[in-house]
Amino acid sequence: MASDNADSAVWLRGIEKRFPGVIACAGADLRVRPGTIHALLGENGAGKTTMVNVLAGVYRPDAGEVWVNGQRRHFHSPADAIAAGVGMVYQEFRLVPTLTVAENIVLGSAPRLLRASEIEDRVAELSEAYGMAADPTRPVWQLSMGERQRVEILKALWRDASVLVMDEPTAVLTPGEAAELGVALRAMAEEGRSVIYISHKLDQVVAFCDEATVLRQGKTAARVENLEDMDLNMLAEMMVGSSEGGYVDRPPPREPGPEMLSLHGVSALNDRGLPGLTDINMSVHDGEIVGIVGVSGNGQKELAEVITGLRQPSEGRVTVKGRDVTTATAGDRYRLGLAFVPEDRLGMGLAPKMSVVDNSVVRSYRSQRRGMFLAMSKCITFCQGLVERYGVRVGRLNDPVAGLSGGNLQRLLLGRELAEQPSVLVAAQPSRGLDIQGVAAIQGHLVDQRAEGVGVLLISEDLDELLALSDRLLVMYEGRIVGEYGPDVTPRTILGAAMAGQVSP
Amino acid sequence: MIRPALTRRERVIPGTQAAAFVVGIAVALLLGAVLLWVSDHSPTEVYERMFDSAFQGTDSLSRTLERATPLALTGLAVAVAGSMGLWNIGAEGQMMAGATVAAGVAMVADGLSGPLLIAVLMASGVAGGMVLMLGPALARSHLGVSEIITTLMLVYVAIRVVEWLEVGPWKDPGSLGFPRIEEVPDHAALPGLFGRVNIGALIALGLLIVFSLAVSRTAWGYELRLAGSSPDTARYAGVSMRRKVLAALLLSGGIAGLAGAVQLTGTEVRLTPGLSNGFGFSGIIVAALALMRPSGVAVVAIVFGAVQVGGQSIQTLGVSSAISTILQAMILFGALVAAVFFNYRIRWTGAAREVSDV
Repeated sequence: MASDNADSAVWLRGIEKRFPGVIACAGADLRVRPGTIHALLGENGAGKTTMVNVLAGVYRPDAGEVWVNGQRRHFHSPADAIAAGVGMVYQEFRLVPTLTVAENIVLGSAPRLLRASEIEDRVAELSEAYGMAADPTRPVWQLSMGERQRVEILKALWRDASVLVMDEPTAVLTPGEAAELGVALRAMAEEGRSVIYISHKLDQVVAFCDEATVLRQGKTAARVENLEDMDLNMLAEMMVGSSEGGYVDRPPPREPGPEMLSLHGVSALNDRGLPGLTDINMSVHDGEIVGIVGVSGNGQKELAEVITGLRQPSEGRVTVKGRDVTTATAGDRYRLGLAFVPEDRLGMGLAPKMSVVDNSVVRSYRSQRRGMFLAMSKCITFCQGLVERYGVRVGRLNDPVAGLSGGNLQRLLLGRELAEQPSVLVAAQPSRGLDIQGVAAIQGHLVDQRAEGVGVLLISEDLDELLALSDRLLVMYEGRIVGEYGPDVTPRTILGAAMAGQVSP
Repeated sequence: MIRPALTRRERVIPGTQAAAFVVGIAVALLLGAVLLWVSDHSPTEVYERMFDSAFQGTDSLSRTLERATPLALTGLAVAVAGSMGLWNIGAEGQMMAGATVAAGVAMVADGLSGPLLIAVLMASGVAGGMVLMLGPALARSHLGVSEIITTLMLVYVAIRVVEWLEVGPWKDPGSLGFPRIEEVPDHAALPGLFGRVNIGALIALGLLIVFSLAVSRTAWGYELRLAGSSPDTARYAGVSMRRKVLAALLLSGGIAGLAGAVQLTGTEVRLTPGLSNGFGFSGIIVAALALMRPSGVAVVAIVFGAVQVGGQSIQTLGVSSAISTILQAMILFGALVAAVFFNYRIRWTGAAREVSDV
């Protein structure tokens, strides 16, 4: 295999990396040929960021090998990786706003004392060579996001990076800037440099990249040699993939009852202040499961937050059981019968450092009072009830909830949300990361809720789960609902195309 | 290159805080013994004197409690904010503000006496502290301005105001031109209990009990703990972070202001720019050692008071004040470091920088 090593600009081999409670990479491989633009694809949590951080010397892998330009490397710090020719351009830029473009570019790697004008001349030469216009004398705070990104790339080129890693590079760019970026990356590849390109935007991936590696659950799920021949929808399906078994049988169809949840013309901004949701119209009825399909990052998080009261819509109305709740707080909406299992179980759904008992009454502590005091005995009884009914395996009820396994956390969280017979349940990624029993238990509860007349909105990245459980599927793409399908949609590739923004009429 | 890194223990060992505290102090005393031995003192003699002067007999005990009272109140003030992850660095200033308002009210409250007057003066102290905290609290809750800087800066404002009152409007006409403020009248002084201890100690103890119960047992305290430990979960539960932040900071300022009123009417008798005497800043250490729990504040405040009293008394054995101060600092430092080791684990890691996001 020695010749193969020499052929690869980057070879990450069998990378394993664990964090407390999470396996980020479980033996993933990534091989990039010199002179190519290589897409690294995968859902959130698939291990992309961990892989490139291993390459950049930020993390040390628990197992596996790092080869750069045919040499085995053991990076102990990001400085080692830079010295070996790896340049990182993070999603959040790491520039000093008050310094000029030239100063930022040479910061930390000026060969010796140089006159400012000399540095500026050399930076200007560099930016011209790659067609990336950037005035070296301007302070960075005056620059647009696209210009700042150019500075980051020039910084890597100044250090003569042979491998450039770009994490979601077009997220902050206008379409015009994105096209320019594509041209610049191609120029670098033609010089023999390699680019690793992480993105969720599949149309750009296909337009810019030569090859691709798809990661799923910390492993390499597929390697695509000829990206040109790939369909967008096939790529989307590869990323979402399917997990092994564990699905409950499809619940028998049921006549949907009255409307429980509805959104009328809802738009909202995302955390960056850009449009995250645009003109969403949808409803969930009594006794149906509505599945939200889409590559993550297309507005699913914002949708859940707008419905549950954690994000204010900029336009439109949200109603629960016919009542307008657009301005109601999250707590008010829960009391109206809107339960929520958030994607971020530990951190939003549950408070990690607080006890199992404290966490079990997050929704109901107001009703567990005796005068101004919390009635601890009532809380404990309530908590024990949840633990028994939902089969949560816990140690002592007063231990912090952070010590529970993922499946038990989710059982506790779901049990708490269902404790007061909600009318609507919004569940975001409810079975992600759980073992097969956990998945089956959670999915079983969702189906039971549907049978009891609860309207369920299921947001998931697992297409098989969505197809197995949902009565209707809504496809989200770039903050819009671009299509509605039944669970018997055939062929499945129609969904893949919709997820990639190509709606077939 | 292998370097140590601290990672938070996932399971905290039960009884950790108390054990860490004792172990830390013991280690510090051992290191202090070396220091004393090197500087030609008998460690056993010095430590015996320290202990005796802090705890042996009612007079010693009363000196310790006299110190512990303002420390307990400022410690509680910092801990109330700290239980929400907020840092009130300016308890020193709120203490001055509380003492100032109480002194002003004492000047005009001629008709009052007895328990009613005391209640009015204590309430004035609370109000003074809250007023000084109002700006930082609103800036934090509505604009997200860091309370660390604003509370700290107002410390100097509060002290300068007292300096101005001293030479200006409140200058005692009977002081023969000497710039000082008139003493608080006798009938406004806090009644004594024993030795140097006055009912301020009981007020502090009562408040500590009330707050421990409020934080651990009431719905209000539950929301406070939820908001402090996981802000996203609190928002999800419908708790208004704005109102919680505002309430925690104003209470914190109010309690520090109360410390000022207690110190004025119980111990100092006269409002001076030196009244707060570092108690507000020491309160930060007290709260940190008590891990922001009101229940721990009482114990830590007494130990802290004892270390100060003991540290001063050993100077009569010929220990220089520099050595005495180093010794006091070592004991507190030992307790702080031990708290870190009991809450964190050292891991030897190869990577220069481990970031724990995935």
